[in-house]
Amino acid sequence: MDNLVLPKNRLKHFIDKIKEDYSIFAPVNIDNIILYRQIKNFSEIDLNFLNSKVPPKSILFKQTETMFKFKLGAKAKVESIDSQNSKNIIFGIRPCDAKSFSILDNVFSDEYIDPYFVKKRENTILIGLSCIKPDVNCFCTSMNGSPTSADDVDILLTDIGDKYFVEINSKKGSDLVKTVKGEFSNATVSDKKKKQEVEKKSKDAITRNMKTENIVNKLDEIFDHELWKKTSLKCLGCGICTFECPTCHCFDIQDETTLRDGARVRIWDTCMNPEYTLHASGHNPRPSRENRIRNRIYHKFNYYPKNYNVIACVGCGRCINDCPVNIDIIDVIDQAREVK
Amino acid sequence: MVDQKKLREEAKKIIEREDVKYLIGWEKGTYGFQMTPLFLTSSDDVNRLVFNPLCIHNLVVFPMLEEKLPLGKDKPEDNKKIGIIVKGCDSRAIVQIMQEKGLKKDNLVIIGIPCNGVIDPKKISKRFPQKTKTFDVEEDDNNFIIKTDEKTYKIPKDELVLDKCKTCEFPNPVIYDVLIGKEIKTSAKSDYKEITSFEKKRLEEKWKYWERQFEKCIRCYACRDVCPLCYCKECMVDQLKPQWVRRSVNISENTAWNIMRALHLAGRCVDCGECERVCPVGIPLTKLNKKLEKDVLELFNYKPGINAENKPLLSIFKPDDAEDFIL
Repeated sequence: MDNLVLPKNRLKHFIDKIKEDYSIFAPVNIDNIILYRQIKNFSEIDLNFLNSKVPPKSILFKQTETMFKFKLGAKAKVESIDSQNSKNIIFGIRPCDAKSFSILDNVFSDEYIDPYFVKKRENTILIGLSCIKPDVNCFCTSMNGSPTSADDVDILLTDIGDKYFVEINSKKGSDLVKTVKGEFSNATVSDKKKKQEVEKKSKDAITRNMKTENIVNKLDEIFDHELWKKTSLKCLGCGICTFECPTCHCFDIQDETTLRDGARVRIWDTCMNPEYTLHASGHNPRPSRENRIRNRIYHKFNYYPKNYNVIACVGCGRCINDCPVNIDIIDVIDQAREVK
Repeated sequence: MVDQKKLREEAKKIIEREDVKYLIGWEKGTYGFQMTPLFLTSSDDVNRLVFNPLCIHNLVVFPMLEEKLPLGKDKPEDNKKIGIIVKGCDSRAIVQIMQEKGLKKDNLVIIGIPCNGVIDPKKISKRFPQKTKTFDVEEDDNNFIIKTDEKTYKIPKDELVLDKCKTCEFPNPVIYDVLIGKEIKTSAKSDYKEITSFEKKRLEEKWKYWERQFEKCIRCYACRDVCPLCYCKECMVDQLKPQWVRRSVNISENTAWNIMRALHLAGRCVDCGECERVCPVGIPLTKLNKKLEKDVLELFNYKPGINAENKPLLSIFKPDDAEDFIL
């Protein structure tokens, strides 16, 4: 891994330069809500943020993806969509969200390759930004992550004062840096030390902690435990936890038509919604919130590790921050572990 | 400040009743200033019960969310009552739902608490950012008293109270079986200042404002799910045949959803503000609700959720009803 530095006052120039060849998605502040949006100008970017409200999975796995369009009637035909080829950069992605992409790769490029996700993933470069100040419910360090990890990004920037410490972690990353070579210089020993200091400070600022040893087996044993009923009593059944989750990836597919034409779209779905498992017969195998909240926990901490050997949680804390009734995933896992 | 001891005593009495299955109140949450709904099923749970100015949740949603699954063989029908603790605004939701015959008083045991206003979670987390540890919060006449391990802060209520509480006309529960504490005298009145000034803006300006808001909507439907008055068996937005609102998340469908949600609450919304509190992307939903509340008041001189004997606004007709807004 090469280590470079980029003076802060050259960041704008760097972005302006790469903007010529790439669509840039970056954190934008809309009335105090941080969301990733495609930007036209550097000035739109808000770098003073903890994390975005909606995770950047929404760029690769869009909330509404048009799969193809069609015409109806005598001249019926299918029109394919070819919008996956634009070259993208996600700028300012946090290490936890970048990790979620590596987790999502498992499911989108498993037995069935999902062309929509995979194509965009290939065409996207991740420029990460280390967390200097973790949010109150961050627990990435419990999930094999770190607020300053370069593992899942192509380039990682870490704020070390008047410059960014730059770690290049892939060929994609080094190729991009080559195109704007003049902006970067080699990191000194003191720069490297500063990055380590930032890393330590940031890790120390994380106070929440989830223990997951043996959780897969434990969950196998307590499927019918009353814990799930108890937890579900206060659940409203809204979709905040799943839509804000960087690893949740379920979708629904619908044809949306007028009399003459239409499109097949896929839209984020949520297992918190009763309709998610509703059969055409009217039968619902997950009839109550108890079944649905259990599914959310099991998918992340039991089924996913069994299938892909990784827990489908990166510790971003979004579901804890925004649950309207304070259902706290750390607390739920703690309670599950304590069941005798 | 509510007498916690008295509250727990009354709660205990209710839970111990044969005909009550559980009592819904609040307990401390898992971090910071979070409180969380508590379902008390035995008198052992009483010591967890708390009421303080952080108890913002309108718990009336829970009786409406109760799932009635098919009964197993030989299982007796569940006729037990639900106990519930309500503030003034919350209690109006019960009355409004009773007006609509969605709840029966016989099925509830209600503890009412006169409320001096709750703390705005956004304001307090801005004042005390990044707090993992939980706090004790109390109040006196003019201040919220916030206790941490190291320090006690006394903060004037005006700085932290939820905006809508400042003009609350109903601090006292309008329906209850037991009242904890003394009734509060108030002369506050909704002034609709914000709405009146917004109404004066040009149409294009208003449209642009709402486009910017609805563009953020992720259609998680938390606004609907947290609302006690949104209790349709199947929400219109979930229907497929016909499909009133498409599943695509875009400005057009998001606008349809948000306007539909607001209109379905016209003459019904009791302004508890829960929809706006839970919205993850910060859409100012109470602004829509307040506009409809104002129109309903001006046109029909009607306020929802005050008297359970009243008929719901939209199911009555009077020959002299205003009609000049009909095109």
